[in-house]
Amino acid sequence: MKRSSILILVLSMVLVLSLTVGAFAQVNNPNTFTKINMGTIDSLDPHYQYDNASSEIYANIYENLIMFKEGDITQYEPLLATEVPTVNNGLIKNDGTTYIFPIREGVTFHEGGTLTPEDVKYSFMRGLIHDRNGGPWWMLYGPLFDAGGLSDITEQVVGVENPSELTAAQSAEVYAELDKAISVDGNKVVFNLPKPNPTFLSVVVHDNGLGAIIDKEWSIEQGAWDGSPETIAEYYDPAKESDPLHEQTNGTGPFMLNTWEKGKRIALDRNDNYWREPAQLERVIINYIDEWSTRKLMLQRGDADVVYMDKQYQSQVENLDGVEFISGLPNLYTGYGLMNWTIDTKGNPDVHSGELDGNGVPSDFFEDINVRKAFNYSMNYDAFVSEVMDGDGQQARGPIPEPFLGFDEDSPVYTMDLEKAEEHFKKAFDGELWDKGFEITILYNTGNSMRKTASDMLKYNIEQINPNFKINVRGIQWASYLDRMIAGKFTLGFIGWGADYADPHNFTVPFMRSDGTFGNFKGESYKEWAKENGVDSLVNKGVEVTDREEREEIYKEIQNIAYEYATDLYLYQPTAHILMRDWVQGWTYDPILHDGIYYYRIYKAQE
Amino acid sequence: MISYIVRRLLILPIILIGVTLLVFSMIMMLGPYERLSTYITDPAQLKNVDVDVLVTKLGLDDPWYQQYGRWISGVARGDMGWSESAGSTVTQAFLNRFPATAELGLLALLPVVVGGVILGVFASVHHNDVWDHVSRVLAIIGWSVPTFVFGLIMLMIFYGTLGWFPPSRLDSWALDIVNSTGFINYTNFFIIDGLLNANFAIVGNAIRHLIAPVITISILWWAFIMRITRSSMLEILRRDYIRTARAKGVTENVVVYKHAVRNALIPVVTVAGRMVLGLLGGLVITETIFNIKGLGQFMAQAAQQLDYPAVLGGTLYFGFLLIVINLCVDVSYAIIDPRIRLE
Repeated sequence: MKRSSILILVLSMVLVLSLTVGAFAQVNNPNTFTKINMGTIDSLDPHYQYDNASSEIYANIYENLIMFKEGDITQYEPLLATEVPTVNNGLIKNDGTTYIFPIREGVTFHEGGTLTPEDVKYSFMRGLIHDRNGGPWWMLYGPLFDAGGLSDITEQVVGVENPSELTAAQSAEVYAELDKAISVDGNKVVFNLPKPNPTFLSVVVHDNGLGAIIDKEWSIEQGAWDGSPETIAEYYDPAKESDPLHEQTNGTGPFMLNTWEKGKRIALDRNDNYWREPAQLERVIINYIDEWSTRKLMLQRGDADVVYMDKQYQSQVENLDGVEFISGLPNLYTGYGLMNWTIDTKGNPDVHSGELDGNGVPSDFFEDINVRKAFNYSMNYDAFVSEVMDGDGQQARGPIPEPFLGFDEDSPVYTMDLEKAEEHFKKAFDGELWDKGFEITILYNTGNSMRKTASDMLKYNIEQINPNFKINVRGIQWASYLDRMIAGKFTLGFIGWGADYADPHNFTVPFMRSDGTFGNFKGESYKEWAKENGVDSLVNKGVEVTDREEREEIYKEIQNIAYEYATDLYLYQPTAHILMRDWVQGWTYDPILHDGIYYYRIYKAQE
Repeated sequence: MISYIVRRLLILPIILIGVTLLVFSMIMMLGPYERLSTYITDPAQLKNVDVDVLVTKLGLDDPWYQQYGRWISGVARGDMGWSESAGSTVTQAFLNRFPATAELGLLALLPVVVGGVILGVFASVHHNDVWDHVSRVLAIIGWSVPTFVFGLIMLMIFYGTLGWFPPSRLDSWALDIVNSTGFINYTNFFIIDGLLNANFAIVGNAIRHLIAPVITISILWWAFIMRITRSSMLEILRRDYIRTARAKGVTENVVVYKHAVRNALIPVVTVAGRMVLGLLGGLVITETIFNIKGLGQFMAQAAQQLDYPAVLGGTLYFGFLLIVINLCVDVSYAIIDPRIRLE
């Protein structure tokens, strides 16, 4: 090689190395935190949103009355209340049926309003009236009214099943009932429960958007519930896009919304008028990039501080310079394949012909227990846990994850057994399904490789059983994924539930109760089945009894029902992990916010 | 020339009606419930409403010509339905994404066409010598390497290692500026808006972000245009009039650049037209790798999600784009070769 060529080569290498090293020698943008996520968020309305991606945004903009102590989800500390109610401080009274929250003074909303107890009452009342389909409000209807939702109250008070059909007079009657639960007494807000409920505080705690406090005056100006007792029908179950708080925010939290470019980017600015010390970070940016290679390169370059990573890419990041990978974090989460027992076939391409004719599936496809069992026997659980999850997690044993009451590592679970699957497919629909075959499309949310892989595994295994069985796998965006579930058009797809609070009740209701979040998505026949077979009453009993052993037996029974009836396809309980630059400081794991981050405590510094 | 352009413009409305009829016939192939989504401009319209009632209310069971009349007047007003995948109206979704795609496409256009033609002419002039072979090998490589491989390599080297050309359209600091009230987004083309706002930092940043995707696109199209130009040039250079010119003692440069290149450009213009359509229609892989939220990514997402209104809106957009590009190509033919005007 000529001397000049060698010189050019050496100079090029020096240049490349110097640029590379230079990039990592110091903290990039020390006052701006950049997270790269995938997918989208559903809504900015704290009372509407009920998904992990959205809750991270809400949690940094809005505040609740109380919050968890840092790193401990069993202890509370005050936030917008000045004290956490306890029996000892006299703020829990009447045998645990009255909770009193003294409201903090001198707190201002981002748009300038001052926090008052009326704002607190309005916030809860607005949410209770909204009670959107598939939303979080069932969690509060339980402790406050011993009911599953607004429709239970309207039926009970005025005999109207659908709250959107209330007349003004009926609305006022219903409102009076709701009003009994929350009252303002001077500078205090008082919650009156029909009976003691140990989960109440864990429902209203920060991390759960339903307890977020909004500015009454400002919200009304934007077109949110007008505060009138007579307008429940108008504001019940709003359409997401026409919800006035869907795209704009006004909280009291440490960060304020700067921009939400749908599907692209969210920028939050520090609230310099925050009632506590302002956050150390001046700005938080959350970018949404579905391509993993791009996310990874941005982390390597230091242009991202935290990136979303599916577990299967773990080996690519374990030894990256300047990058910290923390795995094996406890995850109160159950991942499962939701089977819709009553699929809405109208205009639904995922059921194809919509008939049991070999070219589609009928509405009641998953109502047949043999179909459900066959699908359960067709999943390769071991391969999923060992290969897709890289061994970091375990097979789910029903709705309740470890370490909650009811979780039993010796309880029965499905294993892949294609012969048994075939046996059940042959029994399904009295043999007609086996002879005619079927075609179905199952969905996953784009960017979630784990769910795609789970869907592909099902497809691969089931299509082997009978050449007339055809499964298509299709990815759609997260927000649309949720919308299809709510609309009852979902066929089968993988989704998960992370704890809102640390109690098995928070898993049995959404997964198993007829009016639970997923119960609702599974359609009418599931609802009827759950009511008729005593699932609802068992779930309710679980939270009513106080004896630990008795509770444990109830929850074990619920786990067993999920197995016996193959209500769904319970797949995995993962561990959690985070992938971030080593200059990220102040991060503590919050299993309720899951992979969401509370940025108030975060700062960037090289140590 | 003017009468030629006028003649072409007069045919335009007939072609446009043809395109709209084609798209409308696609809509009519959908069931009434799916068709409904192409008429909805806000999902709240579907809340607490019996879908069958809505089908009747919107006249979706009326004769097709009545439905066409209503639909086309809606399209003329920009109503193309609600896009589930975008969470907005189809029109808004297109308006949001078009600038990203167009900025990338238009910036790529000039280097691709000029570079491809220069390489093609160069290769043909050096026919069968070492430069010709080198150009052909490079063209084969450029044409063969998949965009997702080349794009990722570009990203790894020029962003991951060197940090020169980052993904996305702008850096965060620059996005903050363009989203601020002090910056007027006239076109949402960041280079143009940067110039109009006299903010050259934005212009520089936007160009910096576009270099890697432009090179990724260029490599593929360079190879293609170069091959077309080369073969067209070789054919022209064998023509009698070229031989005559040489025999008359005209210099080789004049023969090549004055007499041959112009005539060799006809097939290149045809290919360039197709290329413009491809560039302005969105480049799914390039947009995905470089995180450019453009039309290509959106259309792929919409198709995957069976978002009918968006897909049909996209078809209409492509139809219009094709008509406009064909018109431009026809006009270009006439400029390059005056005989075409007479035909």
